[in-house]
Amino acid sequence: MLSVREVFGIDTELQVPAFSERDDHVPEVDAVYRFNPDVTLAILAGFMRDRRVMVQGLHGTGKSSHIEQVAARLNWPCVRLNLDGHISRLDLVGKDAVVLREGQQVTEFQEGIVPWSLQRPVALVFDEYDAGRPDVMFVIQRILERDGKFTLMDQNKVLRPHPFFRLFATANTVGLGNLNGLYHGAQRLNHAQIDRWNIVASLNYLPAGEEIAIVQARVPSLAGDAGRTLVASMVAVADLTRKGFAAGDLSTLMSPRTVITWAENVEIFKDPALAFRLSFVNKCDDAERPLVAEYFQRCFDQELKESHELSGPRE
Amino acid sequence: MTDAPAPATASASAMQRRVRQEEQVAELCAGVVRALSGERDLHFRGRRLHRGRVALPWFAPHLHPSPEIDDFASFRGVADGLALRLTASDAALHESLRPGDPVERMLFEMFEQFRAEAMVPDIMAGMRRNLRHRHEQWSLAFHHSGLTDTARGLLLYAVAQICRARVSGQQVVEETEDMLEATRFALAPLIGHQLAGLRRDRADQAAYAVHALSIARTVAAMLHEAGGESEAARDPHVDDKRSVFSLVADMDQEIIERFTTAESGRSAVLDDAGGAYRVFTAAYDREHDAAALARREVLAGHREKLDRRIAAQGVNIARLARELRALLADPTRDGWDGGQEEGLIDGRRLAQLVASPTERRLFRTERMEPAADCIVTFLIDCSGSMKEHAESVAMMADVFARALEQAGAASEVLGFTTGAWNGGRAQREWVRAGKPAHPGRLNERCHIVFKAAATPWRRARPAMAALLKADLFREGIDGEAVDWACARLRQRPEARKLLLVISDGSPMDSATHLANDAHYLDHHLRDVVARQEQRGDIEIAGVGVGLDLSPYYSRSHVLDLATSTGNTIFREVIDLMAGRHRR
Repeated sequence: MLSVREVFGIDTELQVPAFSERDDHVPEVDAVYRFNPDVTLAILAGFMRDRRVMVQGLHGTGKSSHIEQVAARLNWPCVRLNLDGHISRLDLVGKDAVVLREGQQVTEFQEGIVPWSLQRPVALVFDEYDAGRPDVMFVIQRILERDGKFTLMDQNKVLRPHPFFRLFATANTVGLGNLNGLYHGAQRLNHAQIDRWNIVASLNYLPAGEEIAIVQARVPSLAGDAGRTLVASMVAVADLTRKGFAAGDLSTLMSPRTVITWAENVEIFKDPALAFRLSFVNKCDDAERPLVAEYFQRCFDQELKESHELSGPRE
Repeated sequence: MTDAPAPATASASAMQRRVRQEEQVAELCAGVVRALSGERDLHFRGRRLHRGRVALPWFAPHLHPSPEIDDFASFRGVADGLALRLTASDAALHESLRPGDPVERMLFEMFEQFRAEAMVPDIMAGMRRNLRHRHEQWSLAFHHSGLTDTARGLLLYAVAQICRARVSGQQVVEETEDMLEATRFALAPLIGHQLAGLRRDRADQAAYAVHALSIARTVAAMLHEAGGESEAARDPHVDDKRSVFSLVADMDQEIIERFTTAESGRSAVLDDAGGAYRVFTAAYDREHDAAALARREVLAGHREKLDRRIAAQGVNIARLARELRALLADPTRDGWDGGQEEGLIDGRRLAQLVASPTERRLFRTERMEPAADCIVTFLIDCSGSMKEHAESVAMMADVFARALEQAGAASEVLGFTTGAWNGGRAQREWVRAGKPAHPGRLNERCHIVFKAAATPWRRARPAMAALLKADLFREGIDGEAVDWACARLRQRPEARKLLLVISDGSPMDSATHLANDAHYLDHHLRDVVARQEQRGDIEIAGVGVGLDLSPYYSRSHVLDLATSTGNTIFREVIDLMAGRHRR
């Protein structure tokens, strides 16, 4: 048993079970990882009580890595599967394949990822759950229920899940499709599916203090007080882009990942403005750049090249 | 103004550029205010910040820069000040504390604004600079306009300087520091204690207000005493500057619009009639088919000219159609989804089957392509001043009609003007009837159909060229035209309906103005647009040709027809259709 307070730095009395051995499938521990209390508790509930947990959030907020890092600290084997629009039933369940056995060609059933992990103490993570085609997703309808047995029709076999099998999913949307234009290819999911996830944890952008700490942890050269002021300004710009996105002024926004990239580029180029242009401004629509330059001016008291002040009116 | 003689093209295009520049600045500022405050529906209309359809209060005198004299950094400072006012100040609490006396109220508003601006987060270095810059600009402008020459002006100025310095912890503006000494010395015993309180309680609005109210009372009393010599401030050559910082205490009055923003005001005649718009006589109103307005040979000549202009513009119609399709219909890249496990066999994948017999995703299914179930109407103002833009506007309407047709959407091109100058037969009839008071609209209304929705573009080509016919352009009655275009739209089966009104000025009809009052027609236009926008079944947007139409339309954009070639203006109109210009 591990104490949640010691391992994850969350103020609670919880104790969680953990494996004592690590095997190949256990992810690497990232020592500087910062856990978001709510989401971490939701994921821990999934591990402890066998609940189906879906983590929903905008891109770059650390949905998958949260699950991975929890698993890493519990020594829990973890398999991540990226669902894309072309993943099919056969990929998940398995299919007959021709194999050589004693010089003879025989057809033999090769099980897919779902039956494989179902029989092992594995946490199976469906990444980009909302990119999967809804009709394919019904394959896992049964195993979403606790103790849900899984029937392999081609084999006439019924699989019982291993007591330490766990299932997680991450998604950008909650199955309502591409509502805000950010997530092309997001499918509208069947609500009976969404309904079977016991816990939906939402991981959207973090409080500024958290985000600053994360960026500083990732980019050691910006640690300390001097770096903190710079990172705080960077996070302030990111926050303005998110609000600008929410108001419909921008069609892109800065995820925490973008801020980290920016910080890394500051390390390389030694110039926040240049690094900002390379990591974010150049990804924006031309028409939106002057506004981004305004945001930057507010936080850094410097002009970007794209600024209205320097470039004058756009013809 | 629509009946003014057309100015030289050079100055006209310079003015168009200026108006556009102004619009860009306003858009940037609005964007920053939205991001800083986290409120989505803030935007500038006619230089005033609105929340949705409601104008926000004046707040403080330095928050009203004018593009003629203030630089961009000043506008930035104003945007930041507005954003802080919205986030750091509780409007309801402020409202409950406001004193009744106008002068006290103005001072109290100003102090609250200083407090909000002092709340600038430490991390926002640029914001602090902008606010400071705006304060200095405003102070110096106030000083140089001679307003500090009077005792009242100087007192007001000194109070503003001292309070802001105290609340923000920054120095007073250096240039005028010595000038303040005497006033500062006189004020110290009266408000010294409260000043310390301002600084101390700047984070607590209610506690701060106690000190602010007390100072406002003291200073207002002093201003009333000094009131006898306010004539000096009415000096004629000071007068034009006074509009910049109206010492007027009543900040809720309508802004005095400058000529670059559409002149718009309330009409006493319409107000008295409860908003009921009247038409003196509709006997002479006509609706024409444009093709019947000129001989075929003339139209053919105009059409050639228009085609040459379109060729010179170098516009990419296919791409425009694609963009319109993406905007008006759900875009699909192609009609097939490949790699399916069922459906029609995809011939290109049969080789795969041979190579790997277990591969089952050899099928493709057809994807349904949604049609653009949409109609766009271009309503063109054909009043006198539009004559110089006729070719550009005709080019724009023609290209859009063609591109919309390619995109599978319907389009109408309509125009409005009058059948005569100065009221024509309607006015003569009114004179014969003994000039009854407030006759309402007094002219021969003339509506023109250049292209009906049912007419394909190819067939409408000659009629579109009638836009180049110079003697069409007379006066403009916008309100009725908008109603007419909306009524036509409502008869169409298309699900989505857009109306773009292309105009370069406020409604203008001299006879109507003389017989009623100067704002009769534009008041009516605002009523009409508000009513149609309220109904919500038609998306209405104003396309201003060198004029800011934001007082009338909640969605509007200023075009610069003089200098843009290529695809720029089309892109801007598409942005407007998509609602990306939200002013």
